[in-house]
Amino acid sequence: MRACRELGIESVAVYSDADRQALHVRAADRAERIGPAPARESYLSVSAVVEAALRSGADAVHPGYGFLSENAAFATAVVDAGLIFVGPPPATLAALGDKLAARRSVAGAGVPIVPGLMVPLTDEELDLDEVGFPALLKAAAGGGGRGMRRVDSSAEVGPALAIARQEAMAAFGDATIYAERLLAPTRHVEVQLLGDRHGGLAALGERDCSVQRRHQKLVEESPSPAVTPEIRAALIDSARRVAATVEFQNAATVEFLLDAQGNHYFLEMNTRLQVEHGVTELVTGLDLVTWQIRITAGQRLPDAYLDAAFSGHAIEVRVYAEDPYDGFRPVAGRVTTWQMPSGPGVRVDAGIEGATDLRTEYDPLLAKLLVHAADRPAAIARLRRALDETLIGGLQTDLGFYRWLVDEPAFSIGDYDTGLVAERWGSGPTITPEEMRAAASAAADARASASARGIATRQPTAGESPWARQARREATER
Amino acid sequence: MSGFKLRVDGQPVDVSVVPTVVWLDRARGIARLADGATALIEGSGSDWAVTLRGRRIAVQVLTARELILVEAGGSAAVHGGPLEVKATLPGLIVAVEVAPGDEVEAGTPLITIEAMKMQNEVRAPRPGRVGRIAVEAGQTVATGALLLRLE
Repeated sequence: MRACRELGIESVAVYSDADRQALHVRAADRAERIGPAPARESYLSVSAVVEAALRSGADAVHPGYGFLSENAAFATAVVDAGLIFVGPPPATLAALGDKLAARRSVAGAGVPIVPGLMVPLTDEELDLDEVGFPALLKAAAGGGGRGMRRVDSSAEVGPALAIARQEAMAAFGDATIYAERLLAPTRHVEVQLLGDRHGGLAALGERDCSVQRRHQKLVEESPSPAVTPEIRAALIDSARRVAATVEFQNAATVEFLLDAQGNHYFLEMNTRLQVEHGVTELVTGLDLVTWQIRITAGQRLPDAYLDAAFSGHAIEVRVYAEDPYDGFRPVAGRVTTWQMPSGPGVRVDAGIEGATDLRTEYDPLLAKLLVHAADRPAAIARLRRALDETLIGGLQTDLGFYRWLVDEPAFSIGDYDTGLVAERWGSGPTITPEEMRAAASAAADARASASARGIATRQPTAGESPWARQARREATER
Repeated sequence: MSGFKLRVDGQPVDVSVVPTVVWLDRARGIARLADGATALIEGSGSDWAVTLRGRRIAVQVLTARELILVEAGGSAAVHGGPLEVKATLPGLIVAVEVAPGDEVEAGTPLITIEAMKMQNEVRAPRPGRVGRIAVEAGQTVATGALLLRLE
């Protein structure tokens, strides 16, 4: 929406009944309702979104980074309706949306892939000895950690396959599952690509997304502390080869695993903007959304971008309404206090602005908090400062986890992998007994003050509690 | 001090001698502690929460009478008595992991609810025997819906 406004393009938001008052609706010039709160009947409904686009008189559709953004059927419907799809051609989405087909074509292009099956796993063929253990069952239509299950022995394959299929069916409407060797320890490193419609292809460096829970990213940074210039050159070469296997244009991310020896293995290519694109925007100074629109309009990438220069270090943490002290369980409820950080080198992309009742229909992502500084230690210091400025009330978020992370030695020296949360996270950050006693006594003070205020509006009665009387006395003595 | 008894995460804390707290914004419950850390203090009655460095910690602020009630109730919870396990999130029941009559430990997975595209395990809050199970796989539940009873 902001990119559109800067480019002088009128924007139209779509919303479900749950989001009528949402921030994105107010940011747009106009808005169209696409249905009731459940995503299946609104944000995941191809016809509802396309009809809203036609109704509004829009010329083009930007699919965002969730919901239908990588859905080839949606892209086809948009194009068939005479609208422009801001993204790669529908055929490219279809080719890459099938992770198994992508594995085959990418391996053919000479890019290393994670060892494993090249065909779907079937009930008749549950033997994964060839793949090796531990193995990871993955959804062919997958992404975002859904439909993914770890298996450590042959006996676990059958039951895990059933659950993975169930999840994959629910999330993607496709129950095809395949298996890969689970490589560990590894880091998750991805390369951002931007391609115009004239063959220009810019590789905008890498992002390290190794801090994960449930195979989903929590923290992203660029550049990766594990990537040397040699590794970066190899990653970019592979990413370009992957892009060459399809008719690519617009924005995409090629994801790799990076092992301790610096070898990389292709995971998948996402043909959309990623949640974490802001990290790359900070180190390159480019606005990726603006460029998506410009590319769609036929503009060429300037030569300078094809060999992009990077500046400093950027880190993003995803602020979720979830409880890191209880297995990162999603939490519903009301956000009360909402105080976001600001100042030099701090960027907040928030989905809410203040007190909000959280709906449970959609992802529990509240905000993305990004920092940019001259180097990694300075970026971590800035992140610590930004976290200390941030206050979210009403429910537990994962801010506590990030506040712990910035002081965790493995993270500060950059020596971590995707096992960090499982291996290092217990509880934190440290709160001293003195701090806890002070905060608890402040709560007592707040209760005393609240009851004193409540009583002050009434005439004192004979039945007044001595505690309330004392509380009022103390409150007025202050 | 106010004469209230305080408990943090269920444990009594002694606040007879405490460092000063400076209220930055009393209406919103924002206070600065002696070491400069900012705390967010929210609640009403006896139930309060302190958020410090992103970590939200339950604080009970109790009158002498409430303390007696809490202590009586707390011991009842330890010794058993029926407990209703309710859904903390709305979602789809994907699996029921236990059957009536099963003996469970605290932390035993009871029911899996799919919400916000993720599978969430509901675990036993304390040891007990599974009584009536009120839901079955495939059913959608709202927040607060009874899932099962622990005897």
